[in-house]
Amino acid sequence: MIWLTWRQFRLQAWVAVALLAVVGIVLAITAPRVFDLYRSTGLSECTGGCDDLADAFRLQASTSAASAAYVLGSAALLLAPPLIGVFWGAPLVSRELETGTHRLIWTQTISRGRWLAVKLAGIGLVAVLAAGLLSLLVTWTSGPFDRAGDFGRITPLLFSSRGVVPLGYAAVAFVLGVAVGMISRRVVVSMAVTLVLVALVQLAAPFGYRSHLVTPATGTGTFSEERAESLWIDQGRNVTIKMEPLERGSWVLSNETVGPDGKTFTGPAPEDKCGRQGSPDKCNAWLKAQNLSQKTEYVSSSAFWTLQWREFGLLLVVAGLLSAFCTWWVRRRLI
Amino acid sequence: MTDVVTTTGLTKKYGRRTALTDCTIGIPAGHVVGLVGPNGAGKSTLLQLACGLLAPTAGAIEVLGRVPASGSARVGFVAQDTPVYSGLTVGEHLRLGAHLNPGWDASIAEGRIAELGLDPVQRAGKLSGGQRAQLALTLAIAKRPELLLLDEPVAALDPLARREFLQGLMAYAAENGTSVVMSSHLVADLERVCDYLIVLVGSRVRIAGEVDELLGTHHRLSGARRDPATLGPGRHVVAASHTDVQSTMVVRSTAPIDDPSWSVDGIDLEDLVLAYMSEAGANGRDRVLEKR
Repeated sequence: MIWLTWRQFRLQAWVAVALLAVVGIVLAITAPRVFDLYRSTGLSECTGGCDDLADAFRLQASTSAASAAYVLGSAALLLAPPLIGVFWGAPLVSRELETGTHRLIWTQTISRGRWLAVKLAGIGLVAVLAAGLLSLLVTWTSGPFDRAGDFGRITPLLFSSRGVVPLGYAAVAFVLGVAVGMISRRVVVSMAVTLVLVALVQLAAPFGYRSHLVTPATGTGTFSEERAESLWIDQGRNVTIKMEPLERGSWVLSNETVGPDGKTFTGPAPEDKCGRQGSPDKCNAWLKAQNLSQKTEYVSSSAFWTLQWREFGLLLVVAGLLSAFCTWWVRRRLI
Repeated sequence: MTDVVTTTGLTKKYGRRTALTDCTIGIPAGHVVGLVGPNGAGKSTLLQLACGLLAPTAGAIEVLGRVPASGSARVGFVAQDTPVYSGLTVGEHLRLGAHLNPGWDASIAEGRIAELGLDPVQRAGKLSGGQRAQLALTLAIAKRPELLLLDEPVAALDPLARREFLQGLMAYAAENGTSVVMSSHLVADLERVCDYLIVLVGSRVRIAGEVDELLGTHHRLSGARRDPATLGPGRHVVAASHTDVQSTMVVRSTAPIDDPSWSVDGIDLEDLVLAYMSEAGANGRDRVLEKR
């Protein structure tokens, strides 16, 4: 059965190896320069107040091919689960059902449950290993960028393409594809449905449950004109102020600038200070006098590994439940 | 002899459509059984129930004394359209069979492949219909089952391939004493090879029995026109057709018919099956019996 699983899977496996090799080679070529810059700018040794060094690193690194490789690596990890679900998971059972070969294979001396178990375990393991290898490579080579950039690895887009969660997403996507293929019994239909569902699973984390897996930090900061990231005054003289996050590279869940009453500050800005008769200095002086403060809720980048393991555990549980469903379905329902 | 397949009130529904209705039969061991009926009569359903690929909606089925479950070593199955993996070579199919069946007989498998002149490195997707059917049969045979189920194995084959396939099957069954159940919608395929016949029409079993016995108890009567009801007890009219002056009937009767007002002929298997098919189609009305 293991031989058969490999024989039927080897084409897809070689494609995966080729794609992994491409990403690997690109990262291997660009990584030395990234780490050189990381050291030469002093960012690698920096332990506190590193913003200037980070800016220096970004300025130099963004012009090199390494920057493109960094995007490529992250994108590859976000694309891997949908690809695994669509090309490895969805056709696994649906192709057998569509071509009628399930009647050939299930009448050999092997139970349907065992047939599926070997396929799920074998290909699932390869999927997890492939995602793990890619994640290791990308997490490592992206380290300097993640540290220097405004978007830390705790932020939604990067979080799903770093650390151990990609392994969990690969497992869930694969088993989800298998389940969809079993139910729909059509290869193309199951591939399309799997693509949508895996994308939804990937979106469900940042927009749904991820922030509930850890206790976000709440913080308050005082208003100062240097820390204002943006300041808008519209036609109706309503003021919208957004302050810099308290921690660089953290995942900001909410960020408001509030007045003394604790409510979001909206102005109105007086015409003679911030309007046509006013000046930036007058306006700033007025703003300072308003007793503004920043109220923010965020997930600190120090929570990265805690959150990684919790989300990974959750995804493993989901993959396990989906596998149990598939086994039940193939034994009891698929007839 | 014991029965290889026993069913009691076996019924299978797909949603609201009934594929098999209240089927109660016992198929004795050691026979080559023909399962015949028009398309959609429930032949595939019955065979898939027997190899455990389907579960009954109602009733019970036992195969070799057990409730069938797919993955049994004792039952070999060749599905309709003889599916094989088109991406795998002939040799890889044999390897698959050897890996998945503890009772695999490599010498039978390789012997058959060599005899058929199949190239082991050829992909199964490139085989002709006949070769593919032979490969599927080889897989089913080499696991050395006690019961071999074949679902329309020759439907897609040309006459020559059909004959070769059936000859190969017969040779194997005779040599090993394996029980075989084979379905077809054409009687011509079955009459040379089967010694037991089940006629399935409109999801119901019409008649089942040994071919010799069936031929011995069915008669074609022709004579002056008369009402089939006046034929007398113990005689069941299977099909009847009338012209203005003449009546022709197919009658089942265990006792010989020696009524001088009729000319009594034997009947061949094809006419017998057609008579049962038309009986089902006629819904009790008299209907002209047509051959082909």
